[in-house]
Amino acid sequence: MQDKLQGIVRKLLGEGAIEYFIGYGAGSEPHRVVPCFVTSEHEIERLVWGPLCPHNLSKYVLQAKDLEGKAGLLVKGCDARAIVELLKQHQIEREKVVVIGVPCQGQVDPRKLEEVLGVPMEQVQGVEDAGDQFLVTIGEDDRKVAKEQVLWDKCLYCRHPAAFEYDFTLGEIVPFSIDAGESEFAKVEELEQLSVEERRAFWQKQFARCMRCNACREVCYACYCKECIFDRKMPRWLDKPPLLPENEIYHLIRAVHLAGRCIDCGECERVCPMNIPLSRLYKKVQKDIAELFDYEAGIELEEVPPLVSFELDDQDPFM
Amino acid sequence: MEDSETGGNGFEPKILIFACNWCSYAGADLAGVSRLQMPANCRVIRVMCSARVRPEFVITALSKGLDGVVVLGCHPGDCHYSEGNYFTRRRGLFLKKLVEYVGIEPERFQVRWVSASEGAKFADTVAEVTRQVKALGPNRPRPKA
Repeated sequence: MQDKLQGIVRKLLGEGAIEYFIGYGAGSEPHRVVPCFVTSEHEIERLVWGPLCPHNLSKYVLQAKDLEGKAGLLVKGCDARAIVELLKQHQIEREKVVVIGVPCQGQVDPRKLEEVLGVPMEQVQGVEDAGDQFLVTIGEDDRKVAKEQVLWDKCLYCRHPAAFEYDFTLGEIVPFSIDAGESEFAKVEELEQLSVEERRAFWQKQFARCMRCNACREVCYACYCKECIFDRKMPRWLDKPPLLPENEIYHLIRAVHLAGRCIDCGECERVCPMNIPLSRLYKKVQKDIAELFDYEAGIELEEVPPLVSFELDDQDPFM
Repeated sequence: MEDSETGGNGFEPKILIFACNWCSYAGADLAGVSRLQMPANCRVIRVMCSARVRPEFVITALSKGLDGVVVLGCHPGDCHYSEGNYFTRRRGLFLKKLVEYVGIEPERFQVRWVSASEGAKFADTVAEVTRQVKALGPNRPRPKA
């Protein structure tokens, strides 16, 4: 699939159909993959694809607005939802982007892999997809590990492994499912069972650890405001110190701004240096939006986002 | 403004009310003109429409320590700007769930519809919300005096 990808990119660049291509590239070590921008022939061999490509590259496509020509982009199923949403939110034009969809068979969480194998990632030479398992090369050895043990949590309940909005595809869309044994909202429901005080204690503890590095905001496709509310001085919504209650305000406002737009790519939690379980917050947002308004972001281009619309017969528990 | 249902420690909550200019604020005015008695714990901010109330207002208020936030608007169908309160309704539905999920008691954020002729309803709303929030106690620990 990697060869097919490089072939398509070579053709697109050669014909001048795109000005640059955004994909995954080999990083400084065998287990590292980084976002990669390819503008010329000799960079194409840097492009890779495999189970170590969790990044959502869709955000980079926003830079293409200023390009004369088009940008090309590689998307997994989860990332493709961001493209649909960006189109819906009028942030990009469809003609400016050439989308290559790849049918993902699950991405590996390095921390889980380290725990299961008992070796640090530095010793991992490569990870390959092998049906229900991954084939992990460590030095001279190949070890097999069951997928459900090492996938990112979001992959365990993935319902959209392949992009449904694309110009090219790297392969047949193979249904991908792992019986994770619990629903995608299990962790949210766990918290919902607790009392109000217990929930407050949980979230205060988590928000207290936030250092307001803004990584979650920077990586999120939906955070594209030219002037973020948190950077405004007039009015000043948020003071600088990374303390409660500012941290709580930061995360709750971000959650509210993403309501109806969060596509569950999981990047915010992945990049958080303090390992704050942001998925427990954002899955709650997704769950409420789905239950209240029967809406899922990034699936149907024609669907209107729920918080910029209304129905005359919306439920009304307010007297 | 005694209330026998309080925790007994003299806690006086600070409650914020957003009232839309055309209905709720007029209703509040009517309550005043009618000399209806209400607890004095609520601060009223007049907005032109309840839809002006962005979720950020509610979140910032509650996280910074206000004990309760109430958003009042026209009854659905009667918005002065035709549709504003429909958006308020949707936002309110969503925000109520989120606020409760992060550990803030649900009574601390409420949305109600109060029309310009409902002076009594405004007074009742103030009394009821004050009573409910008083019983819950302070939202955040009060700074030591």
